Amino acid sequence: METRLANIWRLTVNEKKFIETALQSDLRIDGRRPFDFRNISIKFSREEGSAEVQLGQTHVMAFVTAQLTQPYKDRPNEGTLSMFTEFSPMADPSFEPGRPSEAAVELGRVIDRGLRESRAVDTESLCVLSGKSVWAVRVDLHILDNGGNLVDAANIAALAALLTFRRPECSLGGEDGQQVIVHPPEVREPLPLIIHHLPIAVTFAFFSNESTVVIDPTHYEEAVMGGRMTATLNANNDICAIQKAGGEGVLQSVIMQCLRIAGQKAYDITTKIKNAVESYNTERALRKIKRHPSSVALDISGAGVNIGKSQNKPVPQKGDSERSNLTSEKSMADQSMDIEGEAKSSEQQQTNKIDGDAKNFIGGPSSWDPYSAGVNSDFLKASLASRGKTLPSRKEQDSRGENMSGEAKPVEPPEDINVSLSNIEASETVLRTNGEKTLKDAVKPKNKRKMKSSPTSER
Amino acid sequence: MENKLSGSPTSLVDQFVIPGDEGLDLSTMSNQTIKLGSSLRQDGDVLSVMKAGTFKFSKPNKYWVESSQKRYEPHAGDSVLGIVVDSKADNFLVDIKGPALAFLPVLAFEGGTRRNIPKFEAGTLIYVRVVKANPGMNPELSCTDASGKAAEFGQLKDGFMFESSTGLSRMLLSSPTCPVLDALGKKLSFEIAVGLNGRVWVNATSPSTVIVVANGIMNSEFKSEVQQRGMVEKLLQNLKLSSQSFSYTYMIPTSTFIGCLLLTNFLQLTNMKQTSLMFSLQLDN
Repeated sequence: METRLANIWRLTVNEKKFIETALQSDLRIDGRRPFDFRNISIKFSREEGSAEVQLGQTHVMAFVTAQLTQPYKDRPNEGTLSMFTEFSPMADPSFEPGRPSEAAVELGRVIDRGLRESRAVDTESLCVLSGKSVWAVRVDLHILDNGGNLVDAANIAALAALLTFRRPECSLGGEDGQQVIVHPPEVREPLPLIIHHLPIAVTFAFFSNESTVVIDPTHYEEAVMGGRMTATLNANNDICAIQKAGGEGVLQSVIMQCLRIAGQKAYDITTKIKNAVESYNTERALRKIKRHPSSVALDISGAGVNIGKSQNKPVPQKGDSERSNLTSEKSMADQSMDIEGEAKSSEQQQTNKIDGDAKNFIGGPSSWDPYSAGVNSDFLKASLASRGKTLPSRKEQDSRGENMSGEAKPVEPPEDINVSLSNIEASETVLRTNGEKTLKDAVKPKNKRKMKSSPTSER
Repeated sequence: MENKLSGSPTSLVDQFVIPGDEGLDLSTMSNQTIKLGSSLRQDGDVLSVMKAGTFKFSKPNKYWVESSQKRYEPHAGDSVLGIVVDSKADNFLVDIKGPALAFLPVLAFEGGTRRNIPKFEAGTLIYVRVVKANPGMNPELSCTDASGKAAEFGQLKDGFMFESSTGLSRMLLSSPTCPVLDALGKKLSFEIAVGLNGRVWVNATSPSTVIVVANGIMNSEFKSEVQQRGMVEKLLQNLKLSSQSFSYTYMIPTSTFIGCLLLTNFLQLTNMKQTSLMFSLQLDN
């Protein structure tokens, strides 16, 4: 018992007096002004749906997971969102393991209210089978270090984690269409949650001197303050929730001023979160694309089937005019740059088409499943024929990213698929054996093929 | 210094060591008596290190490992900053950041009698000296020095106290003056009391000065001298000292333990050395 007494963080009378005196001159002990937030840093881990937020010295981690469960009886069409907080004892000497304390429950409740009441997370899209099976999204908040203002930091962490969380795609199947099949992420791209807006919590601390208000209190200020208020707003200045649990009484004008300030801060923080999430998403997409050159074999068959399918589509616009353009655009580099205007020869049109297919396959959730759709051997041959020439360009175009997705698809002259089978197969095997190739490597075979193919194009 | 350790391939003095390292090969020093300080242990012929830190040596024969941590282990003779938690009939219960609360006898003040017991309420910050610190027992404190004089111990009024690590406290107390205090003292006027338990108290006339000093010190533990001075420059620029008033500068380094003169700054080194210096840092602008 005494050890515990010895380990508690204590406040001296000196500090209390000093903090209040300094606040009279608008000074805070860490040098901030009264309405400045501390530095926010948002980090993500490789796992989807986890975020770590540092707000000055405060560290919070959030994890999002989802499970299929039965919905509530009174809301059969909606998924559920639940929040669990854990105040780890390493965060503060006064936190104890075991049941969540009152403060922990309050924190979870404030964040939950901000998300649920404002319908920020779309729960209806989480419904799989009405009345039977819905997604239950669970957000776990772990407080790692208490440097003050846990609510705001935890809120940002929860939002960042929800924005980057991807749930597996599922479809209805089975004999009666009532069975829910959950597709693993390798098979189908997981889907993000639908989040309409971001409710940001902003906490204010009031001190015994009536008009002294500070935003984002630190640990010291929290120990000294007389009362606190948390306002949850989104970037459009809609108030999602307000929490003022006890503490000193505050004038109405002060509250209104706080809400105005909170609106500005919410906008700033929203942009920060969005930027962090965006950079994480692009990084993740790049990671996925880089993986594909090593899995070329699979893609060939996939692209092949797509080619077969696309043969039935009406041949779009760029007919012979594209062929003439080929002579002007020879280098691979040019091709990669401008997929639409480029490669208008027989081979290159096929290139584009297949690249487009491949890109569609890589880019986002696709409705076509390489494992489930059968592979027609005729189509496969056809694809190999055209594929051989197109593989090198495809690889570099892969590495370019999504900006070319879909654009090449319309460029499909079906009649050129069955061209020079032998050439293509030879080059294709060459390509297969060289796993990761650079741009330069890709260029060389192309040039060789150009020599061979010129007689074919004149046919 | 290095010659004594010619037996070992690499002398570890002033190097960073981690637990398990062999500090010295004792077989080569069989005819010497050496004194082992904290975190060193003799295992037969080998001196092994128990804690991570810097391996230090001082003539003629003292070795120890200096480590920095947020916890404080009470040691007799240390001067620390304590917070009064409670007062009993005979003692004040004081928190000194150790594993147990410490006792400060109500009579342990200069000229202390039953009639003039100071009134320390809970939360009072006091500068005290550790008299006894046996493992398993509550440490004992005193507000007088060994000879019974007050010597600046006692309650610290106003100002701001912050906690950091023991390594920072030792750095602040080292001689010659550590760069951050030196740089701050050239431009600002403030009082500072450093406890070996990682607590530092700063006081000055204006809150902005206190804030600048406190933040400067808090961020200076792992910086090199140049970095410390650079940081202080930036802080001072932000503070805009152009209109600070003049005061006198006094620096009185002494090698004996003396009672106070003007402003206070007690410095005590690690448990291997006992010297105390007094310091007043003031402004010149």
